[in-house]
Amino acid sequence: MTTNTAIHVEHISKSFGSFRAVDDLTFDVYQGEIFAMLGPNGAGKSTTMRMILDILKPDTGRIAVLGAPLTEATKDRIGYLPEERGLYRNVRVQEMMVYLGTLKGLSTADATRRSLDLLERLGMLEQAKKKVSELSKGMQQKIQFAVTVLHDPDLIIIDEPFSGLDPVNSLVLKDLLLSFKARGGTIVMSTHQMSQVEEMCDRLLMISKGKQKLYGSVTDIRQQYALHAIIVEGQGDWSKLPGVARIESISNGRNADLLHLQPDVTPDKVLAAIAASQEMRIERFELAVPSLNDIFIRVEGGQP
Amino acid sequence: MNTHIAKVFRYELHRNFWRRGFLFTTFGLPLIAFVLYFGYNFISNLNRDDQPASESASTGNTGSSGLGNSLGSVQEMFATVGRVGYVDLSGQFQNPGSLQNFVLRYADEPAALAALNAGEISLFYVIAADYESTANVTLVMPRLNLAQASADPIRRLILNNLAQGVDRNVFNRLLTPANIKEINLQRDSSGQTTSDFGSDFAVIYIFALVLMLSVFTTNGYLMQTVIEEKETRLIEILISALRPTHLLTGKILALGVLGLIQIVTWLVAIVLLGRLAAGNTLQTLSALANLSLEPSQILIFLLYFLFGYLFFAAAYGMVGAVSSSMQEGPQFAVIFTLPAAIPLYFLGVFISTPDGVLPTFLSFFPLTSPLSMVMRVSVTAVPAWQIILSLVLLALADFAMIWLAGRLFRVQTLLAGQTPRFKDLPRLLRG
Repeated sequence: MTTNTAIHVEHISKSFGSFRAVDDLTFDVYQGEIFAMLGPNGAGKSTTMRMILDILKPDTGRIAVLGAPLTEATKDRIGYLPEERGLYRNVRVQEMMVYLGTLKGLSTADATRRSLDLLERLGMLEQAKKKVSELSKGMQQKIQFAVTVLHDPDLIIIDEPFSGLDPVNSLVLKDLLLSFKARGGTIVMSTHQMSQVEEMCDRLLMISKGKQKLYGSVTDIRQQYALHAIIVEGQGDWSKLPGVARIESISNGRNADLLHLQPDVTPDKVLAAIAASQEMRIERFELAVPSLNDIFIRVEGGQP
Repeated sequence: MNTHIAKVFRYELHRNFWRRGFLFTTFGLPLIAFVLYFGYNFISNLNRDDQPASESASTGNTGSSGLGNSLGSVQEMFATVGRVGYVDLSGQFQNPGSLQNFVLRYADEPAALAALNAGEISLFYVIAADYESTANVTLVMPRLNLAQASADPIRRLILNNLAQGVDRNVFNRLLTPANIKEINLQRDSSGQTTSDFGSDFAVIYIFALVLMLSVFTTNGYLMQTVIEEKETRLIEILISALRPTHLLTGKILALGVLGLIQIVTWLVAIVLLGRLAAGNTLQTLSALANLSLEPSQILIFLLYFLFGYLFFAAAYGMVGAVSSSMQEGPQFAVIFTLPAAIPLYFLGVFISTPDGVLPTFLSFFPLTSPLSMVMRVSVTAVPAWQIILSLVLLALADFAMIWLAGRLFRVQTLLAGQTPRFKDLPRLLRG
């Protein structure tokens, strides 16, 4: 654990009866990063989050949050949005935000002021006096996020933040999360949307059946699974290029070719050869780095 | 107080106080009772004011001679009914005698009807031709008026006529042969306490109802708030900020205070109504006048409310923790509500033998003791040792119930999406 570690998890395990939900997990989350927890349904992500928050106690192992084992005071520095979340239905928006803010250590005056600020930023100031039941689903989800960050936490833990959101609200939430990170906040989120992880997250932990499968920076993991190959689209006979070992055709909507390279050939050499050739025209040239989705499927399917 | 408990307490107090249901039951019901009482009096006065002015004057001039006038209630009786008429088809009652200022005789029904329409009289009676054998009398009123629908005026007229020449004291005793005071030795072996079934019933029933309503209204809200938090899944956000037991404690304290506000409001209303109703002609209201409360009775009442409230608050908290929907909660709560209401099924036994075996046993058994003891104390002097023993047993039951609630009101139960099966309960209680 280093000084900039927001969460330190060390060999934690948790069982419910004979079911082992989390099996010997160890990882760190650094301050100021967006950390993704990935895994299929029932992998143990939510249980791990609940243990970090002290909602559940691990059977073994230890957890430190913001530099020490979780205390009541530390809880006030964390915002939590669980996967299955809701709000009081027949309570006015601002009244409920103030109550939940005070439970997180704010004074009533601060909670009132901050809730109004946040509602204004979310373009929902007019809804402050409305009952939650009068709001659309999208608005309720924005309020849920607002409640999570109302007390200006150092760390937020969000389980499936994008589930059930339409594209517009997904974008709004993504911007809110990125602006929270830009102010120095740390985010731990679980999601099934790999594209969001690729775009937003710095590092990830993938678990399956409670066990750690992948752990590290998003870039490193993608590189780790990258092929020694390039993907090209255009005109020309790619087999004439020096250093191409074999060509594989890819057709997922568009016709492209996967050029497997010889071990001593680098992609930039191939690019230079294409540029020098009069017979070849290139429209697309990229490294054959698999998407996180492909990696997820490969790892979950037991492929190396 | 722990700050989280204090915050939950403040919020739940505010939120539940402004519930329409709470405002209605706490302040609306007493208000309705007062409105009904004053409405009744107002309508009665209106009817009295409807009578001709001459009648009012004549009522004040009633003479002191005559058998009928010797009865103090004659003026009061006619003050309510007004001047009346009668048609005597039997030929036995030619003269109203001493009641002539209140009662006018008409030769036939058309004449009486004309007088009624002219406002000379407020109603008239027709004494049947075969009165001697049947005692049939018909009352004719211009409209239904409960305050005037009385047989007393004609009864008085008939008695006056039939009892002519009878000694005044004998006549009075014929009218009221016995003023009975009931002494129930089973209820009070010293024979010092008199009882009256009607007023005892009102007293015992009203106090039992007040306690039941207050305990179960507020605890119903407690259960609702827990189930709502489970149903909306807000519970996980809440217990990520505070301990489940702090959440439950804050709720129990807040709703307990609301219950106290409710019960004190009702007691004040009952006492005020009792004072207002003293001497009222409406029998049900005059029974309220018997609702005198000694300070010791109020103290016992409040103690049983507090201990009883805690018992059922813990029970309802447990029900809320295991229920997964608003429909399920009340169904489970019946397990506690039905036995608690057992004393009400034996209301008659409590009135006739408040110190009998069944009322005494029920006033010791914690599930039924709040209601039973309040019912007993409202009609008899319960020995102090019995009250103390009953309270101690109830307090012990409170501790046990709160401990059980604490075991169930935990993460595993609260976050479960489904209602646990009965066989799972021991495991959940063990944790």
